[in-house]
Amino acid sequence: MSDAATDRGTWRLVARRDFWVRLRERSFLVSTLINIAVISILVLARASSVATSGPSFDLGYVGSPAVAQGAVELGHQTHVEVRLHGFPDLGSADAALRNGSVDAVVNGNELRGFEGVNATLGDLVQASARNLAVTKLLDEHGVSQEQRDAANDPAPLTVDVLQEAPPDRAQNSAIAFIAVLLLYGQLFGYGIWVASGVIEEKSSRVVEMLLSAIRARQLLLGKIVGIGVLGLAQLLVISGFALTLALATGAIDPNLLKTALGTIGLVLGWFVLGFAFYATLFAAAGSLVTRMEELQNVIVPINLTILVSFFISIGALQDPNGRLQVIASLLPTSSALTMPVRIVVGAATPFQVVLSLVLLVGSTILLVPLAARLYSGAVLRTRGRVKIREAWRSAA
Amino acid sequence: MGSPILGEPVLQLIDLHRTFDGVVALDGVSFEVPDGRIVGFVGRNGSGKTTTMRIALGVLQADAGTVLWRDRPVDGVVRRRFGYMPEERGLYPKMRVHEQLVYLARLRGTSKDVARSRATELLELLQVVGDPKARMETLSLGNQQRVQLAAALVHRPDVLVLDEPFSGLDPVGVDVLAGVLRSEASERGVPVVFSSHQLDLVERLCDEVVLIDHGRVVARGTIAELRAMRVRNLWRVNVPTAGEAWWDVVPGVTLAGRDDGAVVLELDGAADPQRLLDLARAEGDVVDFGPVRPSLSELFREVIAE
Repeated sequence: MSDAATDRGTWRLVARRDFWVRLRERSFLVSTLINIAVISILVLARASSVATSGPSFDLGYVGSPAVAQGAVELGHQTHVEVRLHGFPDLGSADAALRNGSVDAVVNGNELRGFEGVNATLGDLVQASARNLAVTKLLDEHGVSQEQRDAANDPAPLTVDVLQEAPPDRAQNSAIAFIAVLLLYGQLFGYGIWVASGVIEEKSSRVVEMLLSAIRARQLLLGKIVGIGVLGLAQLLVISGFALTLALATGAIDPNLLKTALGTIGLVLGWFVLGFAFYATLFAAAGSLVTRMEELQNVIVPINLTILVSFFISIGALQDPNGRLQVIASLLPTSSALTMPVRIVVGAATPFQVVLSLVLLVGSTILLVPLAARLYSGAVLRTRGRVKIREAWRSAA
Repeated sequence: MGSPILGEPVLQLIDLHRTFDGVVALDGVSFEVPDGRIVGFVGRNGSGKTTTMRIALGVLQADAGTVLWRDRPVDGVVRRRFGYMPEERGLYPKMRVHEQLVYLARLRGTSKDVARSRATELLELLQVVGDPKARMETLSLGNQQRVQLAAALVHRPDVLVLDEPFSGLDPVGVDVLAGVLRSEASERGVPVVFSSHQLDLVERLCDEVVLIDHGRVVARGTIAELRAMRVRNLWRVNVPTAGEAWWDVVPGVTLAGRDDGAVVLELDGAADPQRLLDLARAEGDVVDFGPVRPSLSELFREVIAE
C-alpha cells in the first residue's frame, strides 16, 4: 500500500503511465520493427560470411603447374582457397580470363589478369614463385633437408604478450559491434523520448496540474523509469530475437552462447546505467523549451556527446586499448557505450570496469537533484525558452 | 448571500511577496479563506491573481511570506488535499478522459476504485458530453473545461483554488459550475477561492471578495462591507414634477448624475438624507428614493481608480 498522505512512491504511477502510453504509440512498434530488421540483416550477413569463411580464387596456368600449385599450398596456410585450372595454350587461358571463369593465369614468368590481379592472389603467386627460385638455388648448393627445415621454421620468433587477448576476439568484436549499435540506438532514441515527454507535458500545460499534486523529482523519476523500462523491454525482445536468429543460422558458434548471453547481460546493464545518466540530462534540457520544434536546439550538446561516444566505441572494436578508448570507457559521458565494447573484446581490466561503474553511478546520483532543480524551475515557464541560470534561480 | 459572521479562517495567505526579473508581482498579499465559504478573487489582468494562486498551491515559491492551512504551514502533504484549476488549462490531449481523471486522482493518493467511481460521478454531475473513453483532444473546448474542473474535484479536495474557472463556459456551464461550487462549500464545507473577471457572477456567488491591484490587496470583505466602505454616498431620487436644482437648499448635496428621469445626488458627511426626502416630497410625488447600491464592478472600478 502506498502512503496516501505523501507523494512518496507516486513516481511508480507516473512510470506506469509513461510506459503504457509509449507502448501503445505507433512509433514504438515502428522502432521495434526497424531494430529487428537491422539486426536480422547484420546477423544474416555474418552467417553467410561464416559459411564461406575466407576468400577464394580460381587460378589458371599454362605449361608447368609448379608455381600455381605452390600458390594453392600457401593459400591453404592463410585460409585462402585457390582452385586450379590448366589450359593447353595462352589463347584458351585468355578466353577464360575474359569470361571470368578464372581470376588470373600463370604463364611461365608472367602472371596475367583481365583488368588487374587481386592483391591477395597476386601475393600468393609471387611468394610461390620466389619459393621455387629459392628451392632451385638450395638444390644447386646441395643443402640438406634438415638445414632447409631449420631455416624454414614457420615460427622463428617466440611470441610473448603483455596482456593476452582472448582467442575469440574477432567473433566477440562482431557481437560487440551489434551490441554497441543497439545501445547507441536505445540510449539516443529513448533519451529523446524523455525530452519530448517533458515538452509534451509542458506545452499541453498539464504539468501545472501534476506539480500541484506531486513534486518535480517524483515526476522526473517516474518519467525516466517508465520510458527506461520500456527501452529495456525492447532491448530484451530484440536481443532475444537476434540470439535465436544467430544460433539458427549459424552466425555464431553455439559454443559462444555463453559469451552472447554475457554480452546481452552487459548491454542491458549498461543501458540501465547509461540511460539513467543521459535521460536525466535529456529531461533537464527538455524542460527548458516549450515547443517540439525547439527540442533539437537544446539537445545538441547531449546528441553530440552520445554520437562521439558511439564513434569512439566503434574505434574500440579495432583498438580497445588505445588511450582515447580507455579514457572514454572511464568517463561517465561516454562509458556506457565504450566500456561494454572493451569488456566484450576482453580488453578492460577489472579495475577499469569498477572505476567506470563508480564514476557513472556516482555522477548520475549527483546529476539527478541538479536536473530536478532545473526542471522544476523551468517547467512552469511556458513562454519561450528558459535560460539555465533563470531556471536554477526560480526553482521552487 | 452568506451570513456576515464569517467561519473560521482555514486557508491563510500571509504577506506574500514575489518578484519576477525585477518586476514586483506580489507586494505583500494577505487574505484568508474561511471554512465553507466562497471567496472571489478579483483584479485586473497582471494584478497578481495567478501568482498568488500558484504560490498557494506550491507550484511557485514565494520570495517571502507564508501560506497556512488550519494554522500549519502548507507542505507537500497538505497540498495533495487541495483541488486546483490552473489559469493555463491543460490535461493530456491524447489521454482518455476517464482514465485521465483516475490518474490525476491517484497521483493525489486516492485509491483506484474510489477514483474510478468518483470520475464517473463527476463527468455526469458536470454534464460532460461525450464518451468517457474518448481522447481529451476530441472534446469541445467547453467540455474540456468541464473535465478540467472535474480534475480539480476528483480527489475530493479539502479546499478548492480555481483560477478563472468560469472563463470559456456557456451560460448553462456557468450555472452547472456555480451549483457545484455552492454545494461543495455548503454541503461538504469546502472553502473555495476563485478568480474571475465576471463580477456579476462573483457578486452572486461569493460570500466574500478580495480585490487585488498591483500585487496588493486593496479591499476585502463581504459585498455589504465593501459597499459600506465606499467613499461616495449617492442617493437616487425621482420626483417627476420637481423643478430644477431643488436640492440646492440642503447643505452638502451636489448633483452626481442623471439616470432615466431620476437624479443621482451625492451627499457629504454632514448632509441628512431625511431632510432631502422631506424636500423631495414638497416638490411632488416621490416615485423613487434610496441609496445607490453599487454593483461589484462599480465598486471595483472605484477602488482601483483610487
